[in-house]
Amino acid sequence: MAFLFRRTIQAKGPNRFVVHLGREERAVLRAVCEDLAAALEEGDDNPNVRRLFPAGHASDPDVDRQYREMVHDDLVRSRREILLAVAASADDQELDRPTLEQWMVGLNAVRLVLGTALDVSEDAPPDLDADDPELPTWAVYEFLGSLVDASVHALSATFEG
Amino acid sequence: MRELLPSGRHRVAVASSTAPAEVELDEPAADEAPEVDRPWIVIVWNDPINLMSYVTFVLQKLFGYSHDKAEALMLDVHHKGRAVVSSGTKEKAELDVFRLHEHGLWATMQQD
Repeated sequence: MAFLFRRTIQAKGPNRFVVHLGREERAVLRAVCEDLAAALEEGDDNPNVRRLFPAGHASDPDVDRQYREMVHDDLVRSRREILLAVAASADDQELDRPTLEQWMVGLNAVRLVLGTALDVSEDAPPDLDADDPELPTWAVYEFLGSLVDASVHALSATFEG
Repeated sequence: MRELLPSGRHRVAVASSTAPAEVELDEPAADEAPEVDRPWIVIVWNDPINLMSYVTFVLQKLFGYSHDKAEALMLDVHHKGRAVVSSGTKEKAELDVFRLHEHGLWATMQQD
């Protein structure tokens, strides 16, 4: 990760976090959260969104199908709530702890879907040409990664177990 | 960790007052403890997208583990491909898997 000259998310206490983001960056994170919330509501069955609903039982397909049927709606509901909460607080200069945890989890969910679309591997990201059609998606993916990491560090610094 | 092997399956005839019926019974393998005694384990699998810092924090938050313990589990997942992160009753394992899925981690459960 690149060095940051200032922390994007700064802990001011266990329940108070200041977010240093510009208007365009906030617009991006609101848009990606609203897009994914809408895709979840429509029951979008594209393989990238399916990454958010993994198998619960690796060794028995029948038991796994039952498990997925049992939890699917709850997972969709919980995800949408989180994503919409992030979108609603995207312009806030300060977040409380529960909201920053929603940012961390919600932005991570978007990142999982984008990373699946980009077929991300453990290797370093590819060198892309300036006109590569995947470049904007990579840029958002990296941006969300830095925000998730900044959220984790701010929350960890003030974690009380 | 060992692989789960299918247990022996036997068909037995059962007499009833109306008509004979056949039921299937699962016979536990000899070296296995009775079904109820064996705890369920929850496994987190490696994936290329979740950040190491994020996985560590989620394990701390969900299970109350210290940073060192959570980080050691995360490193196991990263280097060995998977790690057992919790165990207990089937209901507890189901809840743990659900919360891990809510947080975007690849988690499965199985009987130990």
